[in-house]
Amino acid sequence: MPVEEDLDQAPVAALTADDLLQRVASGDRGAFSDLYDATSSRLFGLIRRLIVDPAQSEEVMQDVYLEIWQTSTRFDQAKGSALSWMFTLAHRRAVDRIRSAQASRDRDMRIGVRDLGVPVDTVAEEAEVRIEHEKVHEAMSKLSDLQRECVSLAYYSGLTHTEIAAKLSVPLGTVKTRLRDGMIRLRDVLGVTT
Amino acid sequence: MTDATSRENAEGLAAGYALDALSDQEQAEYERALAEFPELRVEADGFAGTSARLAEQIEPVSPPPELKNRLMAMLDETPQVPAQPTGRHLAPVAELPATDASAAESAEPPPVGPRESEARRRWFQRPGGIIGVAAAAVLLVAGVLVGAGFAGPNGWSAQRVLASITDAPDAQTTTTEVSGGGTVTLTWSAEKGRSAVTAKGLSTLASDKTYELWYIDASGATSAGLFSDGSSWRVLDGNLPSGAKVGITVEPAGGSKQPTTDPIAVITT
Repeated sequence: MPVEEDLDQAPVAALTADDLLQRVASGDRGAFSDLYDATSSRLFGLIRRLIVDPAQSEEVMQDVYLEIWQTSTRFDQAKGSALSWMFTLAHRRAVDRIRSAQASRDRDMRIGVRDLGVPVDTVAEEAEVRIEHEKVHEAMSKLSDLQRECVSLAYYSGLTHTEIAAKLSVPLGTVKTRLRDGMIRLRDVLGVTT
Repeated sequence: MTDATSRENAEGLAAGYALDALSDQEQAEYERALAEFPELRVEADGFAGTSARLAEQIEPVSPPPELKNRLMAMLDETPQVPAQPTGRHLAPVAELPATDASAAESAEPPPVGPRESEARRRWFQRPGGIIGVAAAAVLLVAGVLVGAGFAGPNGWSAQRVLASITDAPDAQTTTTEVSGGGTVTLTWSAEKGRSAVTAKGLSTLASDKTYELWYIDASGATSAGLFSDGSSWRVLDGNLPSGAKVGITVEPAGGSKQPTTDPIAVITT
């Protein structure tokens, strides 16, 4: 696909998600539209990954963006990037949804047909995003297989401690230890500081 | 429970808390410990920042375009919550004093699950904290993400169809080597009668040539669309006839009504 042509058409002074969110906070619908265009495929990727069912994913997606619109007024850039905040909201909403029994059933049925090895309806990632993507991928590769498995089941599959323990047939304490050690490793490798 | 054991328990829950992996009960337990031992907050913040980074390696997926239209139409009846007048140190949303009861009521966000509302509280009230997502803020350039448009072979509309094919319960996929180099993967759903190809590493064609897709069955070959980029994907035009093969030929730019060259790949469905 002709990525280069699209890059040529990029606005000269591109706004970051943080800039846009700040404008959204003042009720700027145009900025909300731009913010949506710039971030929706990232959030939808996360939500679809967790929920799998497209219709339910769209419902959660709508709730997440409405909440972004409503509460952007109280977002404080000093506390992190706009995208991190949006990812956090999206992950939480998606997890709340999949903890409902009906959603889990739907998800179990669909999960088998998900990974077909085709770059489904993914979109090309813009360069900076790709770099971040690789950093995280590399950081994940620094975990032991067991740590990575636990962190992935928690974050990417939305399982609880207890569900992970049952799935892997290991004691709950073992899951807690692997998650904790894995997250410490990731935090340090990614240079997340507080 | 002694202070030492409840702190120790809390440490065992910190990672799960950041990953949204706690039961409601565990979550409540961890939050009690956070309130009791403020020093745990540093680790909680670090894990929260780490957790958000994990989203970055998920492949983006374009939502259907009508979702945005719906959302934009809802903004007018969705008032924004008033900004906290005290500025940076934000109180939990739920405890915000209402300046105008009716306005505040209508301005409340839609009902949320316990975990989600907790996330919001966590984020907004972190006392003077810094979430610490490392310096390199992710730049997202508006309009650059491919697929921002509705039309076109890789636009939202096509992506929507592609998703419906790959999500179909009877979705199948086959990859074939292409003579001249590269591979072509066909994904199809017989039930939906739709299919899509993903080309990888096919030769770059001269500007007066194009790749053309064909449905091939007993009645002959029917054109199913063109593509020029040797590494790209597209949804095939029209419906996949039951039992048909899908072929690819190189044709003069603009395509042909019938194949004029031998196929470089044929895929059996």
